[in-house]
Amino acid sequence: MPIGPFGLDPVIWAPLRLVVAVALALFLILNGALLQIYLERKIQAMMQDRLGPYHVGPFGLLQTFADALKLIAKEDVRPKGTDSYFFLAAPALVFCPMLASWVVLPFAGDIVGANLNIGLLYLTTLGSMTVLGIVVAGWASNNKYALVGGLRSAGQLISYEIPQILALVSVVLVVGSLSMVDITRSQAGPLVNVLILPFSFVIYFIAALAETNRTPFDLPEAESELVAGWLTEYSGMRWGTMLALSEYGNVTVVCGILATLWLGGWQGPGVDALPLLGVVWFTLKVYALILVFMWIRATLPRLRIDQLMSFCWKGLIPAALVNILVVAVLSLAFPDTRVPVAIGSWILLIAFVAGLPLVQRRRLAGLRERARRSALPVRAAS
Amino acid sequence: MTFDFVEPVVFAVLSIGVIGAGAAVVLINRITAAALLMALTFLCMAGMFVLLGAETIAAFQVLIYVGAITVLILYGVMFTKYGDRPYGLFFQRQTPLAAVFVFALAVPVAYWAFFFTSPPPRPGGGDLPALATSVFTDYAFPFEVASVLLLAAMVGAIVLTKRDETHEFDERRRR
Repeated sequence: MPIGPFGLDPVIWAPLRLVVAVALALFLILNGALLQIYLERKIQAMMQDRLGPYHVGPFGLLQTFADALKLIAKEDVRPKGTDSYFFLAAPALVFCPMLASWVVLPFAGDIVGANLNIGLLYLTTLGSMTVLGIVVAGWASNNKYALVGGLRSAGQLISYEIPQILALVSVVLVVGSLSMVDITRSQAGPLVNVLILPFSFVIYFIAALAETNRTPFDLPEAESELVAGWLTEYSGMRWGTMLALSEYGNVTVVCGILATLWLGGWQGPGVDALPLLGVVWFTLKVYALILVFMWIRATLPRLRIDQLMSFCWKGLIPAALVNILVVAVLSLAFPDTRVPVAIGSWILLIAFVAGLPLVQRRRLAGLRERARRSALPVRAAS
Repeated sequence: MTFDFVEPVVFAVLSIGVIGAGAAVVLINRITAAALLMALTFLCMAGMFVLLGAETIAAFQVLIYVGAITVLILYGVMFTKYGDRPYGLFFQRQTPLAAVFVFALAVPVAYWAFFFTSPPPRPGGGDLPALATSVFTDYAFPFEVASVLLLAAMVGAIVLTKRDETHEFDERRRR
């Protein structure tokens, strides 16, 4: 009889592994969401010179647990006129792709659900499926705010998927593999991908903010314009599943992708001697990125929908295409690709960042000119 | 005991999904439900591709058909006036003709399905470099033709939906 890991029969081990993996992912998602909501409130409070939650437990640590208990105990409200099946299906449609994408996140050298050789493609695929749930939620709620939120979300997510995938392509070109484990292993030294491909890191980061509906791209759920967007009619644990679990789970997945592809994943000092240390490095990197997301949320105002779209189609997508062209040409032209690609990518990044104020200044001058012209007859009359 | 029994079971579930959801797309009265069931059909087809060992195709199937096309269809449905309509009207006239076509198509396909032995697929589904090489060398011409077709469709859609601004303005002023 063949013996699997831990001396178990493979026939028992295979289903057991599935159950353990799913349970572990659910555990991480639930607790990650609680922790991230607490962090989000506390950090925003710090940045806005407030105290944040502090009543329940030490430093308010148990506040989110109390909130979660409230959500679970809440009455299940379903407004009249909602499309019953779709209204019930939407939270699942948002949650399931997010849960499934945890399969390929490499937490440490050996701790990965499945080392798919198309891991990156699998992640983008599941990321694109979330839109379906959001659109269905917006439509089924039978509410104008929710519908507008759903429509905005569909437009935004489909648009920002393109620069996201284009940014991933440049990493794949340099590494030569779509597997998350291979990509991590390729960044063994201190020369991680963010130093080689900073431009695609920036593009992916911006697109990831939009993919996860975070400020400054939180138009689908803009509180001050749309009540809560596509979440308006949801309450109780359905709201909790959609917003707390799915949104924060998605943020974690996206930060996991960023950490794996550009920051070396579980690689770090001392990993070779103690492989379990990889979990610590991976978690630290992911949470550092999540903190940047929260920092951005506390700092930046929301974009307008036309600014959002024009930034994606006129700014990010051409930039990402140029990036792919440069990376592909340089990696074909030079046998040792890293250094030339790094130089090209840094030049592109500097050009992009330096070009933004230039474009903005011309646009602002045009706007001012138009405002002055439209004010002229008023001034002449007075 | 091994897990050989899993594959036929998964195949059975997926084929029920493909056929059932596909039939429901055509027969169901509510257009949003039809759109979502179409997404289910695509997902089950992606599962079939995974069973055949073509993971890349499966991923692209979900990425393009579920993530983009179904969302765009739902997007269109949301903007359309929605109401129950008697679906019988649509099917009443074409039924005999459609039956002939289906029969003419289904019999050879069923015949083929039982007597067709394919060679094993050359590049494995997850073997991306081999797949990409074959797409851009052996199948470069069909690939380019498909791209030109899609481009033509896109330009056509833009031309069809583009409004003639100046013309419209003149019309409004005349009224």
